[in-house]
Amino acid sequence: MKGAVLPLGLVLAWQGTATVFGLQSDTLSDPLQVLAALAAGLGDASILRATVQTVGAAAAGLMLGAGLGAVTGLVCGLLPVLSRLLRLLIEVLRPVPAVAMIPIALLVFGFGARLEISVVGFACFFPMLILTETAVRGLHPLGRDVARMLRLSLPQRVVKMVLPAILPRLFVALRLCAGIALIVAVTVEISSNPMGLGYRLMLAGQSMRPADMFATLLWIGLLGWGLNLALVRAEHWLFATGARA
Amino acid sequence: MSARRHLAWGLASLLVLAMAIGLWSWIARAGLVSAVFLPGPERTWAAIVKGLQSGVLVQQTGQTLRRMVLGWGLASVLGIGAGAVIGLSARARVWVLPLLEGIRPLPASAVAPVAIVFLGLSEQMILVLIAFGALWPMLLTTAHGVASRPARLAEVSRCLGLSRTAYLRKIALPGALPDIFGGLRLGLTVALILAVVGEMITAQGGLGTRILLAARSFRAPDIFSGVVVLGLIGLASNAILSLAEAWLLRWRPR
Amino acid sequence: MPAQILKVAPRPQPVTAAPLIRFAGVGLSFGRTEILRGIDLEIAAGEFVSVIGPSGCGKTTLLRLLAGLQKPSAGQVSMAGRPLRGPAPDIAVVFQDYANALLPWRTAAGNVALALEARGVPRPERAARIAELLQMVGLGAHAERFPAQMSGGMQQRLQIARCLAQDPSVLLMDEPFGALDAMTRHKLQDELRGIVRRTGVTAFFVTHDLEEAIYLGDRVIALAPHPGRIAHSFPVTLPPQRDQLSTREDPAFLALRRALFDFIQEASA
Repeated sequence: MKGAVLPLGLVLAWQGTATVFGLQSDTLSDPLQVLAALAAGLGDASILRATVQTVGAAAAGLMLGAGLGAVTGLVCGLLPVLSRLLRLLIEVLRPVPAVAMIPIALLVFGFGARLEISVVGFACFFPMLILTETAVRGLHPLGRDVARMLRLSLPQRVVKMVLPAILPRLFVALRLCAGIALIVAVTVEISSNPMGLGYRLMLAGQSMRPADMFATLLWIGLLGWGLNLALVRAEHWLFATGARA
Repeated sequence: MSARRHLAWGLASLLVLAMAIGLWSWIARAGLVSAVFLPGPERTWAAIVKGLQSGVLVQQTGQTLRRMVLGWGLASVLGIGAGAVIGLSARARVWVLPLLEGIRPLPASAVAPVAIVFLGLSEQMILVLIAFGALWPMLLTTAHGVASRPARLAEVSRCLGLSRTAYLRKIALPGALPDIFGGLRLGLTVALILAVVGEMITAQGGLGTRILLAARSFRAPDIFSGVVVLGLIGLASNAILSLAEAWLLRWRPR
Repeated sequence: MPAQILKVAPRPQPVTAAPLIRFAGVGLSFGRTEILRGIDLEIAAGEFVSVIGPSGCGKTTLLRLLAGLQKPSAGQVSMAGRPLRGPAPDIAVVFQDYANALLPWRTAAGNVALALEARGVPRPERAARIAELLQMVGLGAHAERFPAQMSGGMQQRLQIARCLAQDPSVLLMDEPFGALDAMTRHKLQDELRGIVRRTGVTAFFVTHDLEEAIYLGDRVIALAPHPGRIAHSFPVTLPPQRDQLSTREDPAFLALRRALFDFIQEASA
């Protein structure tokens, strides 16, 4: 509760200053105007349309990148030989900033959803790979002995022993990647791709509509915050027994 | 024995990397992917050499590096300073930290349009963008590290009669160093990303501008050479930070 | 047998009549819980006082009051005639949890240096003093080691060295050897006695080990719980020259151990 005092106070002070001094500006607007712009954007569904574009691209990229990353990580975790062979290749590719992929994707796909999905996918791939592999590696070696005693085949072992055991950590990795996906999607839209919330934000800034700009920024913030909150809640709910203890 | 095995695996891994580059070369030469999209490693290398000889690539790399390091440095000073203050004060943690935690999930690049409105398509805008984005990881990790120090050390400090600043300098900050390094590492990654984003938006030169302009005029080798250099910057900066971390945290039990 | 008990230890008694430390009617309560009540205690300069009592009797709290880490809610703690307000530089505290009390990022020498830095000892003078102190606690060869590279016994030695670097007139110890194995504990007990006798420091030693309290102390204070208060003060009538084997077989030692044991049994019941 106390944490809410400072932000509320700042917003009130901002509104108060604007009201008292009669703010008229191309660069600033007061909280009430921002709220009005947000309401208008929600009312004519333009913000919602942009949200669907951004979230859709982020989700598709997340599924693609995190999915491939999880599978690769799982295989690397189970087969240490493969992991050692691929180590240098991964270490060389991993530090490439995802945004550097934008021009390449732009060349291949042109503007649009596919550009965004591919860059988001690249950004999510490596974190998911590393976290999944670490999770598999962290499994108790006893599990492998048990599997051997039970004469489980490799696919059986994966489905019955490995996946259930790493599921909580896999979900944590997915939550992390979801945050990355949203950030990268907005970044792609701001830097090049004319669609979604990032582009709406950029456009509002360029055409001197500060209320609209801050409204979109606020909305993006709420979206990221809500997404994180929802996933944390889901994590607690799904793995209440395992993760806490 | 172990060292030799280590070396053998390293060489095998290097071989795989070489094979991947070979595969890339073969795909490009066989024309499986249009040369417009995918220049082979040979053409990429040629573009790097050309850029180095003409000095253009060197200059662009320098610009990006400068922005990354400046923005990151600024964020480090501000973030570690503010984080230390917040970490030391229980009151600040209650009143201020929730606001800061709330801002963190905001994509840093989303601040770019706002920064542009105030600062224009300028050098300062790029630096502010980088510093803003890289600030949060450092601030929050420092605050957490300083706050989670063992209470015993605070008592030791009182018993020895250390001043508040001496306590901060000699006990709280060194104790938070493992956490701070996590923030520095994350901040550096963010700084490189935002340097590229800022250069893409503002066209103020640097590698980000290079690769975006090259994409607009379908000069794929120029893009790939830029991406390779960006990857090298990421690799090298991380390696330097890892070395510094290994040295400064050598006291940690292994 | 009685003759041996009567052989009073020729403890080097300081000439000064006034005690160095005085607890006068000291009490401490947290809200409605009373931790300590009516503590009256005087400690002479150079004296080695051991404090025992069943768990929860406020031994550690008594030490924290003397360290200035806790303020009494009644009465007064004074040192050399002056009331104590907060930690004093010439009172050093050896904590039980040495791993938390040392700076893990500083070497042994660096940890001792911290106390010298706090006292404002000029840099050129530090090195010699550090070497001397590390030598004194038997860590002369390990100056450049980090705490994580040391055994528990070495870490506790290091903490003692850091406390001595404060050049204290009072050394407070809160179950300093409680986490160590028996062999190491005995060795450190002897070293501690040697150091205390050589430096002439006044020692206040909290422990739950009755034999340790007798072996080290000139006097053993027994605290009774709920609320914590001083129940007895046993003088230790053993010769100052003590030995792990013969002293522990001394009838006076055994008699006192019996008395303390009975007290603990009674107090915990």
